[in-house]
Amino acid sequence: MLSVGFRALFKRELLRFIRRPKNTFMPPAITNVLYFAVFGMILGGRIDSPVEDVAGVDFGYILFLIPGLVVLGTISNAFENASFSIFHGRWNEYIHETLTSPLSYVEMVVAYVSASAVRGLIVGIIIAVIGRLFVPISIENGLFLVATMVVIAALFAGLGIIGGLVARDFDDLTVMNQFILRPLVFFGAVFYSLTMLEPIWQAVSLLNPMVYMVDSVRYGLLGYSDMFEVAPAAYAEFVPLASLGVLTLLTVVVLTIDVYLFKIGYGLTD
Amino acid sequence: MPPAIETVDLVKDYGELRALNELSLTVEEGEFFGLLGPNGAGKTTFINTLVGLVRKSGGKAQVFGYDVEADYQQARNAIGLAPQEFNVDRFFPIREVLMHKAGYHGIPEDEAGERADEVLKRVGIYDKRNERFDWLSGGMKRRLLLARALVTDPDLLILDEPTAGVDVQLRHDLWDLVTELNEEGTTILLTTHYIEEAERLCDRVAIMNEGHKVTVATPDDLKRRGTDTIEIRLESTSPAATTIESALGEYAHEVSTSGDQLEIRVDDGGSTVPQVLHDLEAAGHEIADLEISRTSLEEIFVDLTRQEDRSVTRSSASSASGSGGPDGDDVASEAAHGQTQEQEREHEHEHEQEREQEGVA
Repeated sequence: MLSVGFRALFKRELLRFIRRPKNTFMPPAITNVLYFAVFGMILGGRIDSPVEDVAGVDFGYILFLIPGLVVLGTISNAFENASFSIFHGRWNEYIHETLTSPLSYVEMVVAYVSASAVRGLIVGIIIAVIGRLFVPISIENGLFLVATMVVIAALFAGLGIIGGLVARDFDDLTVMNQFILRPLVFFGAVFYSLTMLEPIWQAVSLLNPMVYMVDSVRYGLLGYSDMFEVAPAAYAEFVPLASLGVLTLLTVVVLTIDVYLFKIGYGLTD
Repeated sequence: MPPAIETVDLVKDYGELRALNELSLTVEEGEFFGLLGPNGAGKTTFINTLVGLVRKSGGKAQVFGYDVEADYQQARNAIGLAPQEFNVDRFFPIREVLMHKAGYHGIPEDEAGERADEVLKRVGIYDKRNERFDWLSGGMKRRLLLARALVTDPDLLILDEPTAGVDVQLRHDLWDLVTELNEEGTTILLTTHYIEEAERLCDRVAIMNEGHKVTVATPDDLKRRGTDTIEIRLESTSPAATTIESALGEYAHEVSTSGDQLEIRVDDGGSTVPQVLHDLEAAGHEIADLEISRTSLEEIFVDLTRQEDRSVTRSSASSASGSGGPDGDDVASEAAHGQTQEQEREHEHEHEQEREQEGVA
């Protein structure tokens, strides 16, 4: 798997975003400083933690925000990097340099996905570090947190590949990110707890896959999961692990679709 | 050894448009092979099928015995492609672009750097190694495409219109370079609109038209298939063409007269001239001067590819492609994309501006 060709493409993909921090890392850093400053410091002081009453733990609103913002930054950047890299390569046709090489389709997909996932994870870490500047954080379930972050970064990098292949112009990429991804994340319990919702909206929210991602990262980071409150008590404690399992399965399915699309040349060949 | 390229009944359909029509072609290892044909003949589609940028609809295509789809990794590893279009990574200096390409072909980083330097020197743009593609002149861009094709040290070098739109000096430099490469053992497949180029460089040429092979021959063989013109000036005013025709044998395909000038079309001017002289003198005509105009390969090409009953679609597509100048592209590809290159360029320009405004994601 780690052939010279794979490493060359992976390195190329890494260098593309690492050498442009003003375009890749600065925007999410600034945005999240603003989020923490406004929602955490200015408004947060006037907002009770959405979970303190029900969980018996006082996180403070700013601490409650951090996992959701980390997820938002990670998946947005993983998706954006993969979709942009593929689409820009298609648009200017330099993706032909890769397509005409002896790299296998699996190597191509894994190189694009892993580099994009790395970008998402770096952004996630940047956001966590910025959050740490505002409030102390102690990681409760480190291994679970790392596993979840890697899986969701890879999942959205894989979805970004599909986005980059189906897009017909740059506007399509904007639509995917701004009109599909962000609303799902915003309604994925980033800024509020599911426990604050009426039962009917709790049920609706449980259909949103982002809820499980945000909740899993919150569980990994803070040791608290909304599922402990809203899921039936009998299996509430298994929900985080089950979420990770389902997300992992979903990631494998998406990557398989990526490889299939490369194999048939969807959006890549005539 | 298997042939460098072997296709059998290769078919590529774009909807109802058949871009490659049961094309069977063999290019032997070490050959310098030319692919000639008008815009839309299917040349670029053929090349792209070999390198994996077009998926065939039927038939068989192999490179050095490797099937281009089943054994795509081995087939692609053997090929270096210098395409017609400028499809180079804009994010990196050109030396790094070459290193990346070499890396994709399994060449370790240190060696890739050495090879990049070597090919940049070979094509004469080493001093631009730290520039990005967009900052190069048109001629340098063309040289870079060749360098990128060479950096993997391919056994089969495919050049798609390599000298389209370049100046005379660069054209001659490229000719010298590819000749040298061929002498070193690299098999070369060249597509070109310039007949002189094919005549000068190629061991054999295939003429394609509307997706099928019209003929395959050496340039000399092709030229022998054409008719030559014997231009004769008589000492006195020439009689009517029909009178001259009756004095000559069936070897004279066409005779025209004007004042004391005669023009006689024959198959092989060199060997037919003595017979012409004999027959004219026997008929009482005195000859003051004589000249043979040999058929150019270009004329033969036009004869072979002339289609009086082209379909409306193809004709209009060809003219759209032709408006792009010497870089005219494959009609089939255009049909597939649903827009002409010119439109694409306009869109690309618009989006370049957008990207400048939006920044790079």
